[in-house]
Amino acid sequence: MKKLQASIYKETLLLLRDIEGVILIFIMPLSLVIVMALLQHRTFQILDETKIPVVVVDYDNDSLGISLCNGIKQSNVFETTIIDNPDSLSLSQMKSDVAKGKYQVGIMIPEKATFAIKKRSIAMVQQQLPDNFSSNPSIDASKQVSIQLFFDPITKESFRVLAQSIFNEFASRTETRITFQTYSKVIDAITNQDTELNFPSEPALKFEEAFVSEYTAGILPNAVQHNVPAWTLFGMFLICIPIAGNIIKERNEGCMARLKTIPVSYLGIMSGKSFVFIIICLLQAALIILSGVFLMPLTGLPALQLGNNWFALAIITITSAFAASGFGVVIGTIATSQIQASTFGSVATVILAAIGGVWIPVIAMPEVMRTISSFSPMNWGIQGYYDVFLRNSGFSIILPNALKLFAFYAFCTAISLYFRKYRANR
Amino acid sequence: MEIKKIVDVRKLTKTYKGRLEPAVNNLSLEVYEGDIYGIIGPNGAGKTTIISILCGLLNPTSGNIFINEHNINDSLIEIKRIIGVVSQDIALYDKLTAYENLYYFGRLYSIDKNILKEKISYFLNRLGLEKFKDDKIRSFSGGMKRRINLLAGLLHGPKLLFLDEPTTGVDVQSRNVIREFLVELNNSGTTMIYTSHMMDDVEKLCSRISIIDCGQIIITGVPCDLIAQHHDCNTLEDLFLKLTGRNLRD
Repeated sequence: MKKLQASIYKETLLLLRDIEGVILIFIMPLSLVIVMALLQHRTFQILDETKIPVVVVDYDNDSLGISLCNGIKQSNVFETTIIDNPDSLSLSQMKSDVAKGKYQVGIMIPEKATFAIKKRSIAMVQQQLPDNFSSNPSIDASKQVSIQLFFDPITKESFRVLAQSIFNEFASRTETRITFQTYSKVIDAITNQDTELNFPSEPALKFEEAFVSEYTAGILPNAVQHNVPAWTLFGMFLICIPIAGNIIKERNEGCMARLKTIPVSYLGIMSGKSFVFIIICLLQAALIILSGVFLMPLTGLPALQLGNNWFALAIITITSAFAASGFGVVIGTIATSQIQASTFGSVATVILAAIGGVWIPVIAMPEVMRTISSFSPMNWGIQGYYDVFLRNSGFSIILPNALKLFAFYAFCTAISLYFRKYRANR
Repeated sequence: MEIKKIVDVRKLTKTYKGRLEPAVNNLSLEVYEGDIYGIIGPNGAGKTTIISILCGLLNPTSGNIFINEHNINDSLIEIKRIIGVVSQDIALYDKLTAYENLYYFGRLYSIDKNILKEKISYFLNRLGLEKFKDDKIRSFSGGMKRRINLLAGLLHGPKLLFLDEPTTGVDVQSRNVIREFLVELNNSGTTMIYTSHMMDDVEKLCSRISIIDCGQIIITGVPCDLIAQHHDCNTLEDLFLKLTGRNLRD
């Protein structure tokens, strides 16, 4: 215990004598969190506020074209330009405008599209009626109408799928209305009635959304809820560079050799070092989390919601700090120079962050990357923070991830001890 | 009364990985309590390798080592308690003060705080560094750093002190102070194993010496006896050059 106290005292003094370095340890990750949260928040805001420009060339100029155009106009997603009386050049002009990026999407509704749908509906009705009601049994009910969609080449796949889905919904609704009207007219003809058709503007089915959590604070995942824990972890793991640098400096200057001649274990020496850097990690995490709560709202960002499980939050933060310091110790033990340690440390942290879901949430990753992601300690940390912040989960839920993080620390320490012995046998 | 053997090295060999030639080759030596045992040799002769193995920094390839009757393979912790090491590197934290450095290393030997403070004060005073105790090591001259480096290795009162070129790069005054201090320590019962390129220091300090080359001992004995055995040599340096040759070794 005396030896551990001495090591902690020495490491604290060394750290405090490099006050510029300590300030950087706190300021850099904090800046990173704020910048990333602002950037992502603003990007989503732009998508929400800015409508997507769409041009429609309506050769149909009948029910389908008009309904589809009205539907697109009424949606809040698109800024619609409709060419009502197009000529033969309108299509090529539209394609050219989309290609140049003037519009993100071009829609071409072909001539007599409404007529074709009506014919198809009539054919379907006639199939249901006895032969004496059928005026023209040869109409083909399987014939389709093609509405062509043109996309700006820079359009993202996800947006393309979204747009297609929205158009498909409008078109289906319009087709249903036309079919229903046709049926209605045929029934009127058979029954000698003239019914006024009241087709409801809203569909019979609607979807209601709710987050399946007992947590009722209404917290939704947003740029702050994701970026604060994600970049907190990134900042913690980046501490591997000063830890590794500290170990290598100690080794290069001969202090480590002197320590090896003293009856104190390498684990004891590293524990003192880890302890101090774990405290730094915890202070760093506290600073970033508090900035999420108090500072970020001042920049127009939503405030970070912490949930109610302080104990679970403390455990996931402490085990993350252990994992980060273990990572630094193993790099410092294996690397033979400062350049090696800082290059490997920074690149490894970036890779662990990338696969761990710091930049892109794991859910948005392809299957193979999701599998790889489950091996990143930053992923365990992020999942733990999500559990606390978004699902308001308690200790038992975050325990598996906390244990994984601590096991990572133990694994790194074991590797360090092995390398230490390996070097003595060189 | 029989003088106790404090270091007993038997057939020690060390071959570094990837090297064909051994750095230390089948070397045996004995150091007795109260000795200042000098190990001298040209660059690359194996001096630092021997010291590194004896104080547990490196594992030997083969051979047996007993320190104070403890086998180094079985009782390294016991051995570490009774040895002190002063390396040729200035193994100090340059951002810490002289006092903080000594306090840290002393505490790692579990020395009581109050005793440690007294010891630090005594040793700093003895080596003329008391007034610099609160100055950071980085502001020290080479000689001052060497003196603190020496103190860091002997605060716990080691029975056996390894000194690997402890006077490298220091001025004549500092060297003289260090030499006198080492004699004083030896008189109080500390056995020393001393390596240096300063033949003058070795001749004045060491009770027995071994000249080594290519990882093997060429000759062992009392310095003045060895010089006397070679009529064409007047000094240890003459003897050294005669036995190891005049060719450069770097």
